Amino acid sequence: MTNHWIDFKNADVILVMGANPAENHPISMKWIMKAREKGAKLLVVDPRFTRTATKADVYASLRSGTDIAFLGGMIRYILQNNLYFMEYVANYTNASFLVNPDFKGAGELNGLFSGYDEKTRKYDKKSWSFQMDDKGIAKKDLTLKDPNCVFQLLKKHYSRYSAEKVSSITGTPKDKLLEVYKAYASTGRPNRVGTELYAMGWTQHTVGTQNIRAMTIIQMLLGNIGLAGGGINALRGESNVQGSTDHGLLFHILPGYLPSPSAALVDLKTYIEKLTPKTKDPRSVNWWGNRGKYITSYLKAIYGDKATTENDFAYHCLPKIDEGMNASWLNLFDQMYKEKFEGFFAWGQNPACSGANAGKVRTALGKLKWMVNVNLFDNETGSFWRGPGVKPADIQTEVFMLPCASSLEKGGSISNSGRWAQWREKAIEPVGGSKTDSDIMNELYFRVRQLYLKKGGKFPEPILNLTWNYGPKGKDGKIKEVNTHLVAKEINGYYLEDLYDKKATPPKLLGKKGELCQTFVHLQADGTTACGNWIYSQSYTQKEGKIINMMARRKKDDPTGLGMFPEWAWCWPVNRRIIYNRASVNMKGEPWDPKRAVIKWNADKLDKNTQKPGVWEGDVPDGPAPPMADEKTGKYPFIMRADGMGALFGPGLADGPFPEHYEPLECPLPNMMSKQQVNPAVKMFFDAKGGLKEDSYVSCDIRYPYVATTYRVSEHWQTGVLTRHLPWLLEMVPQQFVEISVELAREKGIKSGEKVTVSSGRNQVWAIAIVTRRFKPFKIGGSTVHQVGLPWCFGWQYPEDGSGGDSSNLLTSTIGDANTMIPETKAFMVNVEKAKG
Amino acid sequence: MKPTNNQIKLFTPATIGLLLVIIFGAYTVLMRFKMGDIHTNMQDDFPWGIWIGFNVLGGVAMAGGGFVTASAVYLLNMKKYKPIARPAILTAFIGYLLAASSIMIDIGHPLRVWHPVVMWQIQSVMFIVAIHVLLYTTVLALESSPMFLEKLKLDGLKTIVEKIMVGIALFGTLLSVLHQSSLGAVYLIVPYKLHTLWYSSILPFSFLVSAVMMGLCMVSFLMILSSRFFKCSLNMDILTGLARGALVTAAFYLLVKTYILLSGPGLSAAFAGSMESRMYLLEMSVGVLIPLFLLLLPGIRNSLAGILLVDILVICGVIINRLNVSIFGMLRQAEEMGVQYSPNGNEIIISLFMVAVGALLYKLAVKYFNVLSYEDV
Amino acid sequence: MEASFLVDMTKCIGCRGCQIACKQWNGNKTDKTKMGPKFTNPVKLNAKTYTNIDFFESVNGDKLTYDFARNGCFHCKKPACVSACPVSALVKTKEGSVIYRAERCIGCRYCMLGCPFNIPKFEWGTVFPKIQKCTFCHDRLLENKIPACAKTCPSGTIHFADGIENNLKEARRRLSENPGKYFNHIYGEKEVGGTSVLLLSSVPLDQIGYQKVGDAVIPDLTWKYIGGIPAVIGMVLAAGIGSWVITRRNKNMDKEDNS
Ligand SMILES: Nc1nc2c(c(=O)[nH]1)N[C@H]1C(S)=C(S)[C@@H](COP(=O)(O)OP(=O)(O)OC[C@H]3O[C@@H](n4cnc5c(=O)[nH]c(N)nc54)[C@H](O)[C@@H]3O)O[C@H]1N2
Ligand SMILES: Nc1nc2c(c(=O)[nH]1)N[C@H]1C(S)=C(S)[C@@H](COP(=O)(O)OP(=O)(O)OC[C@H]3O[C@@H](n4cnc5c(=O)[nH]c(N)nc54)[C@H](O)[C@@H]3O)O[C@H]1N2
Ligand code: SF4
Ligand code: SF4
Ligand code: SF4
Ligand code: SF4
Ligand code: SF4
Ligand SMILES: [Mo]
Repeated sequence: MTNHWIDFKNADVILVMGANPAENHPISMKWIMKAREKGAKLLVVDPRFTRTATKADVYASLRSGTDIAFLGGMIRYILQNNLYFMEYVANYTNASFLVNPDFKGAGELNGLFSGYDEKTRKYDKKSWSFQMDDKGIAKKDLTLKDPNCVFQLLKKHYSRYSAEKVSSITGTPKDKLLEVYKAYASTGRPNRVGTELYAMGWTQHTVGTQNIRAMTIIQMLLGNIGLAGGGINALRGESNVQGSTDHGLLFHILPGYLPSPSAALVDLKTYIEKLTPKTKDPRSVNWWGNRGKYITSYLKAIYGDKATTENDFAYHCLPKIDEGMNASWLNLFDQMYKEKFEGFFAWGQNPACSGANAGKVRTALGKLKWMVNVNLFDNETGSFWRGPGVKPADIQTEVFMLPCASSLEKGGSISNSGRWAQWREKAIEPVGGSKTDSDIMNELYFRVRQLYLKKGGKFPEPILNLTWNYGPKGKDGKIKEVNTHLVAKEINGYYLEDLYDKKATPPKLLGKKGELCQTFVHLQADGTTACGNWIYSQSYTQKEGKIINMMARRKKDDPTGLGMFPEWAWCWPVNRRIIYNRASVNMKGEPWDPKRAVIKWNADKLDKNTQKPGVWEGDVPDGPAPPMADEKTGKYPFIMRADGMGALFGPGLADGPFPEHYEPLECPLPNMMSKQQVNPAVKMFFDAKGGLKEDSYVSCDIRYPYVATTYRVSEHWQTGVLTRHLPWLLEMVPQQFVEISVELAREKGIKSGEKVTVSSGRNQVWAIAIVTRRFKPFKIGGSTVHQVGLPWCFGWQYPEDGSGGDSSNLLTSTIGDANTMIPETKAFMVNVEKAKG
Repeated sequence: MKPTNNQIKLFTPATIGLLLVIIFGAYTVLMRFKMGDIHTNMQDDFPWGIWIGFNVLGGVAMAGGGFVTASAVYLLNMKKYKPIARPAILTAFIGYLLAASSIMIDIGHPLRVWHPVVMWQIQSVMFIVAIHVLLYTTVLALESSPMFLEKLKLDGLKTIVEKIMVGIALFGTLLSVLHQSSLGAVYLIVPYKLHTLWYSSILPFSFLVSAVMMGLCMVSFLMILSSRFFKCSLNMDILTGLARGALVTAAFYLLVKTYILLSGPGLSAAFAGSMESRMYLLEMSVGVLIPLFLLLLPGIRNSLAGILLVDILVICGVIINRLNVSIFGMLRQAEEMGVQYSPNGNEIIISLFMVAVGALLYKLAVKYFNVLSYEDV
Repeated sequence: MEASFLVDMTKCIGCRGCQIACKQWNGNKTDKTKMGPKFTNPVKLNAKTYTNIDFFESVNGDKLTYDFARNGCFHCKKPACVSACPVSALVKTKEGSVIYRAERCIGCRYCMLGCPFNIPKFEWGTVFPKIQKCTFCHDRLLENKIPACAKTCPSGTIHFADGIENNLKEARRRLSENPGKYFNHIYGEKEVGGTSVLLLSSVPLDQIGYQKVGDAVIPDLTWKYIGGIPAVIGMVLAAGIGSWVITRRNKNMDKEDNS
């Protein structure tokens, strides 16, 4: 989230598209309703009339997987009707940048962008670059008239997305489209702000990342980023999933969103050189220019004294991904299926039900030598060897179960979607001999280390040299119990030497050796600071010698009245509640909308540190520099971007600088936008070149005529391991169901409450039909397309009598987003028939 | 009338039939107490079934003959009816015992049936009903005690009882008036559930009047039955007298019912063609209109067969009325709540069991006590 | 002050947190249920379920509405159930809640018949059945905590207030400040003489499963009868004694004639 949960109350228009907060983030509705009470409009765009939609001022349906078409139409609407926020667009985005004249868009190349290589399914992005002046700064046309400027290219690209065309792709009635466009575009004025809430409805597509990109373009055109009540807000999932990505749980990032090194980045120098964005524009802050400081401090944090200038700060100990390889979920299970792994830790997950194409996942598990299930309960994954259709005698995998303590049985921090890290105390002791995750890791670490010590190994250093100072040691040298406070402090970082501000005369002491870092601004690239995660620097800090756990703060002051509560917990970075907040003010530093000023420039007040006049008031600003109007020292607002500008043109992604509509891998009809059916940059697991039968797919095939999607219900959690065992919840939603429209039910002679079989190209599940008006057939290009939807919270293991059904992921396919590889579990094709017998 | 006790055979086919029902029923009753509740079709949105509708409401109405006769004989000193006092009161006594037993089977905590006696809640019609059942059953026991005291040769006691019989009868009449009407009052609490064809603020009064009408016919009916089954002589004079009484009450009852209809849903509701209107018309024609018409014909009023027919019609009619109030008139509301009710086997068998027990008890009383040969002392 | 809920169904998001919170607080068990045809589950209130959310799909013109109706006891100001109970097993407390004292109950189920909203439920098929119904979380009220369902409700649908008047005021404010948003009626303001739970909705309430009831205070209806009993006693006694005296005199006169 750029903003935070409470901030929804500040919006004038709330677009919920790709999420269903009423069911999946119920408490967020409190703030949405607050906004509505003040007159805000709620727009909901979803294939199905959700519980959120019941509160909407406008509900528009769309066929799953067609959001880019929908949003593309909105971009066109905004541009054609001049509803964009000109001052913002011209000064804060790359609209004026001139693009390489070689660049060709999807309009010209029938769905492709210039530089595509069919063989590798990759783009050569050379032509996607900006024209540079002799100073190395991008050329601009502030009038936005140059045919090569981003603004004109954008216009050209989306001119193809007329409301009629969009409607014929998405199935949304044209009047509904325009109603949504009109309402949302009304926020293109300084005194109106719109926010967008999305989650899995957008990400779980082959075009997931581009869905979100399309929305950021809209938000920037309307000047909605950086403002209270604006932004683009991912409603995150598992309670601490924000924390988990912050801390590098994903394969492609280290903590603090530092890229994971690949084999080609042979040493730290190369890593820093290749991965540090550069700019020659003095007005761009280019915060990622500090990457060297963060990676070095990270290495110091994990290897301590063993990370020295001489040994490249132990950079060689970091695992490297082979060039072009990617360790995403789909690839991991694909490799597992192909017997490339011996063992697997299923740690806090239930892939046998949550994994797309779960049939393949279940088979893959049987090809392991061993598997460790670290979980509160046994689940379909741990018990896969006795699942439906599996003969235990055929399975050689040895399965270990490590019982784990639940969230209530351990203390530590949890980061919510709004980036607020909140400290929780342990409520009860772990029951039944279970251990906390960290203690299990501690145990593992100790034993693996002992093995390396005793038996040696190919490369013991990364393990033997790890710092592991998380509590007092026992006689055996093992940490007795992991103290999460010590982990949190390591994450925050320490000064390893006294740190001086050398620019001041005399040099001013900034931090004392051994103390906790005060901010990531103090981090150094020379090994004099250690920091486990630069964005969390300041979360557990030291002021005047006093140690403060900022995450445990519970003060309810709200000086701005905007619900930022700056002294409640702590928020990364540096407690900034709304990121890119420098875009919430005009070039002079005056808030676009004074009634909801996130920050404002007070030119008269003296800065405490510099003793010069001019300070920012309100939220922690994106850097202390004066507003942009100050030609000399003023800075651009988007400090995380090398050029300091919001990216309407985004050359960074794998599948194009502008989002373009492609159909999902499985879809009912040919792409009406271009000849390019599916996102050209996705990794295909099955195509003309071959592939596993398990990975096959069926598209535009009358045997599987209905679009299907999967979603959650408020009554269950994920695969249901935590909720199916809870009778109260199971009582409310006891069985796998499939929602189908009244029209489809009539066609098929299916009555509500009846058992049906839902089948896809890969597998089938039974479900109870819920016949509802909340799904409506789509009129698409003259034909009728039905869509159905299933939850994915069931699994064969419980209820034990089988009355619940099995996971709907048995139906989904192996395909993922071109950039993130998130599986496309939101759009695929099925058939629905009355169950036999 | 001469005592004919010894002529009564213990095991007739009818009695064996009764016994069979009783055995089945007793088993079901046992199961009900053992397993908590046997399965019935009563449910949350239809908490009262035929045990209340038929056994309690119908049974109590049938027992109306007791207080009508008692007050005629003891209060109004209508000597003519003295011969029927004993059978009428005995019937009422048995009727009340069975109604009380039905309640015991019906309620969730039969062992706490005494709670109302000590936990007064005078706002509750149910409390009023409970107290009345208790007191009136006692009164009926007293009123029928001479018969047993006789047999036990406790003449002293018998004399005392008979001395205060007038007082007892007066108290009994009072209780009956209150009790019969309070059963109607029970339904004052359901203005939105009971169909407007029946719901009325004068429902208690209507219950009372119909109970009197039914009481008269019930006594008459019993006399005729007894004469057939127990071969005793019949006093036509008494029968025609009862018939005349029935005529008068039926006429009055018709007035009451007409008032309820007109002050409530209006005449058209009776002909709406709905299930309720059909049940209403059935109740009215069987229980009031046809009997009234028949009774107006002297030929019928004075013939045994005619009287018997009227008796049967009235009894059925009033029972239908009670079922209408307690069940049929409540079904529409239940349907709105998405439920339906019709008694299941268990409920029916227990209801029949009660009827059978009543008949058998009556037969035994007639055989072993001086019921029908009662002569003034 | 008397506890009161203002349940504004236009705010309800159907998350059913209230349903769970109630079960959890009261430690209520569950039944084996099935899915469909609607989402409502358990389909109805029962002895284990004091409150539930009922889902209503309806189409007005081309507009689809999906309404969530919260069911539960209304805690009537003059509760029919309390007046029905022969043993005061049900009582209206000064905190405003209508609560049940199991040890008194005889299981006659007259409260069930009497409640115009069919709220009291019976533990059918058990040896010592109890009546079950929402307690307004009386135990929590006594500890100055708001009821569990209201505490849980994320959307502010179940608004708790001390004093029915406060909620009435709030309800009127919402009606007057949002013309067109609500069906213009505060359910429970007048119904059965007023209830502690007030409902607001955007559609007529009988469309989403609420009984159409009038304003009459139900206990008054039965009280009219019970209150008349002393008079009846007087009349019957007078008539009885009178007729006895008269007939006795006639009888004696007869005797004199005969002798
Ligand atoms: N109760 C509950 N809450 C949860 C979870 C849970 O399991 N249960 N899980 C948590 C987790 S991990 C996550 S990631 C979040 C996910 O939160 P959400 O993303 O809100 O969850 P979903 O229900 O999967 O999908 C949201 C909506 O996307 C719609 N949808 C499907 N296809 C499309 C499409 O192509 N376009 C658009 N615009 N919409 C589409 C679906 O109809 C659905 O209503 O929820 C979190 N919260
Ligand atoms: N078809 C379809 N598939 C999907 C999705 C979809 O929308 N549609 N959504 C996807 C999304 S967004 C997600 S996040 C994934 C989720 O996929 P998973 O994470 O595999 O699913 P969960 O059921 O959340 O599994 C979490 C497990 O962690 C255990 N657990 C709980 N607390 C702890 C703890 O403290 N420690 C440990 N060690 N274990 C614990 C739980 O018992 C549970 O078994 O599913 C994905 N799969
Ligand atoms: S995280 Fe908890 S409190 Fe927040 S919305 Fe989900 S269930 Fe509700
Ligand atoms: S709603 Fe029913 S149970 Fe609740 S107080 Fe009123 S009468 Fe009693
Ligand atoms: S069932 Fe219990 S609580 Fe209800 S009225 Fe009868 S005695 Fe009272
Ligand atoms: S007030 Fe308490 S008992 Fe009543 S529904 Fe709410 S949580 Fe349940
Ligand atoms: S908790 Fe509130 S919002 Fe959720 S279902 Fe209950 S009343 Fe509605
Ligand atoms: Mo997720």
